[in-house]
Amino acid sequence: MLFESIAGNFYGIIPLGDIIFYLTDFSLIGFVVAMFFTCVVYLTKPEKQLEAQMYEFGDKFNHVTAEELRVRKFMSIVCGVATAFSMLTGDLFNFALFLAVIGISNIGIVSAVKKEWVLNAAFHYGIIAMISSLPLFGAAALILGKTGTLSIFELSKMSHDLLYLKILYAIGMIGETGVAPFYAAKAEMFRAPGAPYILMIHLSSLLVIVRTVEILLTIS
Amino acid sequence: MDYVSLMFSKTVGVGLIVGILSLYTISRQKSDLNMILLTDLVEFAMLVIIAAVGTDLAEALILPGLVVGMAELLAVSEIFVSRNELKKTGKKKKSKLLEEFTIKETPNLNIRFNKMEVLYTTPKFFAFILVVYGAILSGFTGGAIIASGLLFYILAKRATGKKILSKELKVSFEGISGLSGIFWTLWILGYIGLFLFPDRWLYFLIMAGFGLSLKVGSKLGLIGELLE
Repeated sequence: MLFESIAGNFYGIIPLGDIIFYLTDFSLIGFVVAMFFTCVVYLTKPEKQLEAQMYEFGDKFNHVTAEELRVRKFMSIVCGVATAFSMLTGDLFNFALFLAVIGISNIGIVSAVKKEWVLNAAFHYGIIAMISSLPLFGAAALILGKTGTLSIFELSKMSHDLLYLKILYAIGMIGETGVAPFYAAKAEMFRAPGAPYILMIHLSSLLVIVRTVEILLTIS
Repeated sequence: MDYVSLMFSKTVGVGLIVGILSLYTISRQKSDLNMILLTDLVEFAMLVIIAAVGTDLAEALILPGLVVGMAELLAVSEIFVSRNELKKTGKKKKSKLLEEFTIKETPNLNIRFNKMEVLYTTPKFFAFILVVYGAILSGFTGGAIIASGLLFYILAKRATGKKILSKELKVSFEGISGLSGIFWTLWILGYIGLFLFPDRWLYFLIMAGFGLSLKVGSKLGLIGELLE
């Protein structure tokens, strides 16, 4: 089975009603990494950002108020938890939901920054994320319509012709996490002050992209 | 003829067409606000595609999809608002090349909402429809629908700045509900009697019918109160 060769050893499932988690080498490592960085975000204090001034002497501190930080900390913890559980989930629709939650919380992390370019970037990223929910959820629904199941576990056993649906799903993921063609909308967001929180955006996108690749290779 | 799969493919096609058309319109938009509204349209196209599956599972999937769409809309609009506030307080905009030749429309935000005709006519209309529908339904659901209609009416009145005196409201509402409760007990007693004393069915039937008709009548009275 292709499933084992990609995801590593299979350890079993955790049935929680509709939401079935399954444990493999891949998902366990992803889960641990995401949870570890969530703990890091929870424990660390954010850094201040220095901006070099052009045509002037001295640097400029970017001051961040405590209230602003609370929202961003909360949002990055939500993002980390969603990333961690999207590593484990065995359901296509739940994975899409986790992706959407990651997208929303990524916007939330930078939404409290009082910088115009950051908000501009977040706005455009949000528009892209909203638009890309059509291919993402649409592909999940079409897979459900075609095969009758959303479980990755079941889909890996049977063989269907899911090429176009997989392409749609991948397009949705690309828009939602803001990779290559949409990266321009997201890149400016990284210039926002407050290091571990901003880096959470990066980490969640990376992990989720890898996981999506694993899912798309697994289902057939 | 397999109607199910035919409908499925057609509905999916409709969803995709709506999504692509709204993508095109988004690309033509100048105003950011319009952009947000049109992306919401894409969300609805997504819901259409999910609904095309048409099973119980799809029904369960629509709700989280809708919630995610709402959350994204809220987040983006929140960012839109705070960015606009920043823009307002910041220094003046740099003009682009040849900007004087393009049409710039600044939205007129000094609308006096109390003067809008819609706010006067629509609440009445909606409340009327809800009350009529509730009167037809009868029973608990009907009562709930009537109450929600009236509540909507009152809240809409509040929103336009027109005060409804709470004392007046209380008297008429309590009167109607008390009357309605009495008739309801009458109706229930009639039914219970019908089962306990089947010999005297006629009296109890008349009793239940009397209670029911008067209860509906009190609801119709509410319609009259709305209409005036």
